[in-house]
Amino acid sequence: MSVAGRPTIEEPRLTTRQVRRRRVPRHVVVALPLALAGLISLMVSGNAFRPFERITTLEARMASKSDFFRDPEVQRLLLEHGLRVDIHRLGSRGIATQSLKGMDVVFPSGQPAAKLVLDRQERSVRSVRPFVTPLVLGTFRDYADTLVKAGVATPQQAPDGGPTLYYNLDMRAFMGLLDGRAGEKTTADQDGDGTLEGADTWNGIGFDQAGGRSNSGRVLVRTSSVCESNSAGTYLSLLAFVANRNSTPGTQNVNDPQLARDAVTDLAAKIRPLINLQGMWADEQADSYLSDLGESIAPISLIYEHQYLAHQIAYQDTHGRQDIERVLLYPTPYALTEPQLISLTDEGDRLVRLVEQDEELRDRAIELGFRVRFNGEDGTSERLNTYLRDHGIQVPVPNRDETKSYEPDLNVLERIINYVGSCPPPAQDTP
Amino acid sequence: MKRPPAVLAAALVLTLLGTLVSACTRDAEHITLRVLASPELADVEPLLDELEEDTGVKLEMAYEATADLAGQPAASGRSAYDLAWVASDRSFLLRVQDSGGRLTRPESTAVMRSPVVVGIERDLADLLRAGASGGRISWADVADAAAEGRLRFGMADPRRSDTGRAALVGVATAAAGTGSALREQDVSCDRLRGFRSGQTLTGASSRELISTYVEHQGDAEALIAHEAELLALNASGKLREPLEIVHPDDGMVLSDFPLLLLDPGRREAYGKVVDWLLGADVQKKLMERTFRRPVNQDVELSAPLRASVGNALSFPDRLSIVEQLVDDYGDPVHAIGDQVVFVLDFSTSMRGERIADLRAAFAGLSGADQSATGKFARFYRGERLTVVRFGGRVLEERTVTVRSDADLRTLDRIVTGGGFDDATAVWSALDRGYRIATDAVRAAPERPVAIVLMTDGENNTGLSYEEFLRRHERLGSAADAVPTFPVQFGEADAAALKRAAAATGGRMVDAGLSSLSDAFKEIRGCH
Repeated sequence: MSVAGRPTIEEPRLTTRQVRRRRVPRHVVVALPLALAGLISLMVSGNAFRPFERITTLEARMASKSDFFRDPEVQRLLLEHGLRVDIHRLGSRGIATQSLKGMDVVFPSGQPAAKLVLDRQERSVRSVRPFVTPLVLGTFRDYADTLVKAGVATPQQAPDGGPTLYYNLDMRAFMGLLDGRAGEKTTADQDGDGTLEGADTWNGIGFDQAGGRSNSGRVLVRTSSVCESNSAGTYLSLLAFVANRNSTPGTQNVNDPQLARDAVTDLAAKIRPLINLQGMWADEQADSYLSDLGESIAPISLIYEHQYLAHQIAYQDTHGRQDIERVLLYPTPYALTEPQLISLTDEGDRLVRLVEQDEELRDRAIELGFRVRFNGEDGTSERLNTYLRDHGIQVPVPNRDETKSYEPDLNVLERIINYVGSCPPPAQDTP
Repeated sequence: MKRPPAVLAAALVLTLLGTLVSACTRDAEHITLRVLASPELADVEPLLDELEEDTGVKLEMAYEATADLAGQPAASGRSAYDLAWVASDRSFLLRVQDSGGRLTRPESTAVMRSPVVVGIERDLADLLRAGASGGRISWADVADAAAEGRLRFGMADPRRSDTGRAALVGVATAAAGTGSALREQDVSCDRLRGFRSGQTLTGASSRELISTYVEHQGDAEALIAHEAELLALNASGKLREPLEIVHPDDGMVLSDFPLLLLDPGRREAYGKVVDWLLGADVQKKLMERTFRRPVNQDVELSAPLRASVGNALSFPDRLSIVEQLVDDYGDPVHAIGDQVVFVLDFSTSMRGERIADLRAAFAGLSGADQSATGKFARFYRGERLTVVRFGGRVLEERTVTVRSDADLRTLDRIVTGGGFDDATAVWSALDRGYRIATDAVRAAPERPVAIVLMTDGENNTGLSYEEFLRRHERLGSAADAVPTFPVQFGEADAAALKRAAAATGGRMVDAGLSSLSDAFKEIRGCH
């Protein structure tokens, strides 16, 4: 059992920034303008501070949480502490299953992948879970309204009575739409418009009744690869939880391992089509969802809440209003993801400590849409909500039905993932 | 006293200058990356000098990328290329997935987007729109017009070009009509024969296709390619009349022109290139020069790109599905029409409603069926159709090669005009069908031939099933190439028909489950 899953408790240390004192001879001041010119050009070329302070570059592998480390303000704050993070992008489960050689830190987007990484470490490692963010479905207003008409989604009340950004999604009812069947039939008149249409297609549930628009595609959620990404894996565990009548898969028949295994395989077989009907996965769901062609690429994309909120915050900054076309579906039951920054080297430890302790970095995380943990506070959401309210962005209301989907035991989840995705075996590091 | 500080100052200045200069030269140090690129990306070449100026990275492009980047990433040792820049890396990624962990997928960044759509001559587009459901042209309408001989088109060869492959996947997904990605069962039958009958132009890449089209504008009324390529072609002034760009209503496959890092040792330079390509000003230049859509949201779309692209179709999740599709499509231009021998039961029990159903089924396949699947499954130009009507003996037989509507009307007259007979000689009739089919195979071995046997009763005269089988065996290899697809109707002997299907490599369809029309549609293309 790894000790790193527990929060690390240690006496506070001094910041690692080194201030070098130099004794400057008076005459050197004469050369200062030139030196400044040099400095400015260095700053322009991005090499600022290099000659004066040693900058440590950390090799880091991460998925969607690179949004945090790619933020210019975060980069600036880290540079002040002499750290720069070189990001290798890879899906979280990909991080966990591939060789970690040469990496200083990894930042899987959720606990299953983090546990896989931690289980592979021979020494105890430092890690931090700085924030959480729920798994959500990003969609567009006309599609969300179609789901409301189909009776699977309910809009959250916008405070000013305007168009809402958030909808609650009844996951069990929604899964009935994902199987491509009305009862046993593949065509039906589900929206009662008098024509037979493909069962569970967007037009089939009434999308084409809203004036001139048409989509004969199935109601599907686009995800990234289940073999590689945390979001898709977490989505699978959500589907499995609901398909298992809102209880955690693998917790039944614990006394009969064979029976328990069979039950998990049956469950995986049941939810496999809900994923596989989409055909080939696509990386970077948030990028395509938030792009100009987002609505053409996929009516519903699996993303994280922070990606959406960061978009709304940026949109508000540039346009002075909310993006009311893009809306979120909050599934009930819900799934919360908890990214974990894991250090693999001494240099990596420095970054973990910093993220753990630096208030400015945490404040910045809020501005990027994360629900940040602060010591001495109960919830993770209050500060984020305040920030959103102050910036003219509707605050999402947690579902009244607080059913949380619990991730199954790691082995059980791995079996479900491998069954659904037929994933290649993980690489083995030779330590 | 004054000297040492001055020297110190001078030294400091020199050091700073030194740092500055070395920093500059390090940035300006030239790195050359070898790039395996899709031929259609040759249009970015003029921007590459700027890339070199701004980043010090020179891209040496080899426009030789094939549909699934065969040979990449090199399984062992160093690749001949540092990067790959292709229209789409989907086939490649599916191949990596199939390698069972032997190949590692490289880092990949989408640079631009463009849907695979169809450009149609304006008059024809107007005509198609007038007949299309909701006034929105779909792939099914394109296939219908191709089968009817009204639309001839060019498309890159899916065996070699990823653009051709994306186009084929798009059309096939629309033909399957499931609203989701193609599965094995969707490609087990080739539903694209009518569509393919309209293809007159091709090329190893869509770049080659387009230059062929410019030379032979009279040979096709439509081109299937990226929206970007069609817009560029229209803007080139090389066309007698511009093509109208149609975003088919039943969806399109979207290419995202990813840049892949094949040699992980070149990560730093790769990062520079990606950052440069994704910057708003370069994205704008790319859009203006190549008509591809920017991935950077800060770039405002230029006028020709404001049209909605419609809905993206999903790509299959297994390479085997794509390969089956490409194999079935075969050589795009030298495809030859099939021959189908319809052996039809005209015993008296067929009289009335049943014969009306049969007639409706043939009318549907002749172009009356306006459903999307009907438009793909219909009879097409160049297809040879034989009708054998039988009762206690063969009543009539006739073969037509479809060249015009008149041929289809001839067919209709044969199916509906003739009289009935009291007995049912199923196996004698099928034996006759095989003689026609094997003659056809011997005359033109490259032409696929199949038999559709429709009956509504049990065999009560003529050859026994065993005798039929003996004769069938004597026909030898020519007969082995011809499967029989029995359609069970009314009181037909399902078990016997299943046996015949199994013995000849066909499959039985039960018309009682749906209708005769659906049963005929279901087996179209399965031979």
